[in-house]
Amino acid sequence: MTGIRTSDRKPTAMIALLRSISIYIILAAVSAAFVLPLAWMVSVSLHDVRGVFEQPFAWFPSQPRWENYPEVMGLVPFGRYFLNTALVTGLVLAGTLLSCSLVAYGFSRVRFRGRNLLFALCLSTMMLPGQVTMIPLYMLFSRIGWVDTLWPLIVPSFFGSPFYIFLLRQFFLTIPREYDEAALLDGAGRFRIYWSIILPLARPALITVALFTFIGTWNDFFTPLIYINSPEHATLTLGLSMLKSQIVGTGMTQWHLLMSAAVMVMLPNILLFVIAQRYLVKGIAMGGLR
Amino acid sequence: MSPERSLSLLLATSLILTGCGRKDTTTAGNVRVTYNCAANVVEIKHLQDELPRLADSTGIEIVLQPFTGPDKLYAMMAAGEPPDIFYTNTVMRDRLAAEGRLLDLRNVSTDDPFLGRLWPDVYRQGLSADGGLYSIGNWSFTAGVYFNKDLFDQAGLRYPDTAWTWSDMMAAARRLTVDANGDGEPEHYGIFIPSHFIEVLELMNGAPVEQKSFFVDFSEASREVFRQYVALMNNQLMPDLRRVQAMGMQASQLLQTGRAAMLVEAVPHQVLCEALTIPWGVAPIPRFGSRPVRYFRSASGGLSISAQTANPAAAWKALKWIIAGASIYQPNPVLKDADFVTGWEARYPHLVGSGFREVWQSSLKYPAGDPRFFVRFSSWTSAPILEGLLPMLDRVWARDMTVDELAASLPGINRSVRKELDRLLQRGDLRPEFVQAIKEQLSLAAREPQR
Amino acid sequence: MKRSFTGYAFIAPWIVGFLVFTAGPMIASFVISLHSWSMLSPPTWVGLENYQSVITDDPLFLTSLWNTAFYVVFSVPLGVGVALALALLLHNRYPGMGVFRTAIILPSITNIVAVSVLWLWVFNPDVGLLNAFLRWLGIEGPFWLQSETWAKPSLVLMSLWGVGGTTIIFLAALQGIPRELYEAAELDGAGSVKRFLHITVPMISPALFFSVVMGVIGSFQVFAQAFVMTGSAQPGSEGGPNNATLFLVLYLYKKAFQEFRMGYASALAWILFFIILVFTLLQTRLSRERVYYEAGE
Repeated sequence: MTGIRTSDRKPTAMIALLRSISIYIILAAVSAAFVLPLAWMVSVSLHDVRGVFEQPFAWFPSQPRWENYPEVMGLVPFGRYFLNTALVTGLVLAGTLLSCSLVAYGFSRVRFRGRNLLFALCLSTMMLPGQVTMIPLYMLFSRIGWVDTLWPLIVPSFFGSPFYIFLLRQFFLTIPREYDEAALLDGAGRFRIYWSIILPLARPALITVALFTFIGTWNDFFTPLIYINSPEHATLTLGLSMLKSQIVGTGMTQWHLLMSAAVMVMLPNILLFVIAQRYLVKGIAMGGLR
Repeated sequence: MSPERSLSLLLATSLILTGCGRKDTTTAGNVRVTYNCAANVVEIKHLQDELPRLADSTGIEIVLQPFTGPDKLYAMMAAGEPPDIFYTNTVMRDRLAAEGRLLDLRNVSTDDPFLGRLWPDVYRQGLSADGGLYSIGNWSFTAGVYFNKDLFDQAGLRYPDTAWTWSDMMAAARRLTVDANGDGEPEHYGIFIPSHFIEVLELMNGAPVEQKSFFVDFSEASREVFRQYVALMNNQLMPDLRRVQAMGMQASQLLQTGRAAMLVEAVPHQVLCEALTIPWGVAPIPRFGSRPVRYFRSASGGLSISAQTANPAAAWKALKWIIAGASIYQPNPVLKDADFVTGWEARYPHLVGSGFREVWQSSLKYPAGDPRFFVRFSSWTSAPILEGLLPMLDRVWARDMTVDELAASLPGINRSVRKELDRLLQRGDLRPEFVQAIKEQLSLAAREPQR
Repeated sequence: MKRSFTGYAFIAPWIVGFLVFTAGPMIASFVISLHSWSMLSPPTWVGLENYQSVITDDPLFLTSLWNTAFYVVFSVPLGVGVALALALLLHNRYPGMGVFRTAIILPSITNIVAVSVLWLWVFNPDVGLLNAFLRWLGIEGPFWLQSETWAKPSLVLMSLWGVGGTTIIFLAALQGIPRELYEAAELDGAGSVKRFLHITVPMISPALFFSVVMGVIGSFQVFAQAFVMTGSAQPGSEGGPNNATLFLVLYLYKKAFQEFRMGYASALAWILFFIILVFTLLQTRLSRERVYYEAGE
């Protein structure tokens, strides 16, 4: 039987202290490296057009140009982009939560023929790169006149998305069946059970799905890029890309304006993160372990 | 709230909200014309300010749709909703005309005195192989060398003028290149020539450019130009292109910050006129050796009207307004009656005495030159040419490839050009006049030695 | 019988969606790939010619394949490695870890286009943050996105900035390892390296596997960064110096939406799918012995 020798204790304490200090130093350096570009972005957004090119760069401009922000908003319809993005994200949230929870409920709580096979099929579509279906979908939406509208960004979300279906199904499986059975005995229909019992119990998972969907949709670039042509229907992401092309297209790029725009686009994400950090972290963890 | 009610409320709200988004309706009586304008925030702002007045006086409401890329333009065409007015350069125009996508402007402009206002060469540039008029040039320009007067004063150099030669320019560049701290990297460069002005140099120095050529050629004169250009970088008279090509680094910044004492750019150049705060002048670009200068003036493209436009007459009126009415584009150098130099000098008083008048007047001596001033390749084959050529040019500018190696790879590009032409001829949907024109040019090329 | 109907009723949204948005388009895209079609004119049948062209006669496809492979091979292992290292560091119960965690995860939840715009400027050879930092250290930095050799490493570096999400996954996985295992190993005299290799790695292998698979699938489809950051002010020139950052999906996008060669682009998409499929199956097979699932998974 081995034991811990008493003479080991003193050096252990010293080693532990050194260890914690070095870990703090490394983490501080890494965190600084991670945050620095963001801080720089904010700093550039407060400079004027020449200040950006000054060497060495002045981190804290003597006269921060807060008016860059209204100036950018005047150049491009940022308010419009924001509204479009908010609209799309809101509807996609509703659609995703509704459809994914419905489907997940079906896959987890109702026994029917072919259930496992269909579920496997559902999961396998996660592997499909969007580009395979991109062109026919574009054709389809083009035929029904939905190109350059927000509909192609919204409608597919009402039909379920494999990853969230999977996530919610896993969660539903952990809810005891007694709830269902009691309600069935009372004569409640399946849909009633789903709506009034399971959904409220699944709030944590639903919040997670909502957060992920929000981030995914708010930041989505590829889909708006393909379907949206005119600025009045653009989302924030697409609008920022268009602004970049526009600003670079003039004779003198106004980087301070571009950075202001980038800060404004990032702000909702960061705010959301600050508010919902707990759920986000838990959700990411949940997604990775299964 | 029951599930059914909340669902229907949600659907109703979303329908209402999305409905609010669309701005298809115009004020009663106005005709809506969409203009795919350049993605230039300054231009857009100026246009936006004037459009309401135009709508009030003519009943035509121009809606701006900033150009976001040729892919978006084609996507809109494919979806059946192209903009009414859009810019086409010679690369796109013939192809679009052959596909029947462009309105033949002769149909809307019969007896219209506006056509008489255009310089004859500008008018001719808009014609295509079938004799149709498919675009109206909306701007023209020449090129010149902008120089920083302060830096010239400090170096004790005489300002450039219409008489200076290439050797004069090189000598000045050498004097103006300064490496004060001796680290091998000059703080100030003598000159900067953006890479797309290579074609200007080629044209000026004798490289034959056949208007109807499908293939890319590289005559000895062109090779000499490329060698001189690369030598500028090798001798550090010019900053490495990669340094300046970083997105968002504009050549004008180099001039403004004094990093380069001379800059070759288009004349006139709106941004340079408006934003440069250094005292500057402009002079013509000299030719190699001591040959007398030659000028080229070009439109390189123009505004076209979509064949699918709902109201051709209104679109034509709008097009005319854009070219001759919109204040941001006035005075427009494509118009004979616009005394362009005087008008431009009135707009930017500091242009007086800068050399601008001399440069522009000289360019008038020659008919508005090659419409492919900045666009060397034919509509039909520019895509495969550029696809093959641009990556190689990247390597040449990075000094990874010599000019002779570039010349050696051109037959390979021309092979893919031939393939593209075969594919084009196999398509069943091009208008016959254009197919005929392609075939004629191909047979001409077949008689020439294999490139 | 009724149960089956109810079941199908519940999953009906997914079934309809699958047919309309997945299965149907997949079949359609395969059919399109057998034609030559620019959207502006009717399609012509070419059989397998598109596939043939892609595989045998398209140097840009090979370039894009190579570029994508480079990106995957470097960004995934490096990303997973860095994320794991950070997770191990964060796993300690010291006060204030939350601050570091926040800082590390922040970049990964922000908008890819905004990030690309930011890093466009960070990578600027003259006035960018990165070269300024290097200059401060006395090193003259390369041309980054403008340099043929450094363009891809630039994007790999940028991808490392976004490892926050993966770090959290590993962190959660680490927190799920019972301490008894470590204590038992320590009593048996196992050093920290041995403990890491024989306890930590197997216990977090599901998370590792998940991250690697998702990382590979995701990085095969790299697009936004290349689209926004490489290419000159001229639209249509995306792809980087000498096409150094022309990735598969970017190439696909250009063929489909800039050149309008829909048939060819569809063939490219199917080839991409095939490649991803092969890789995923390979990974699953290879990991069968290595990934340790707890009983009940």
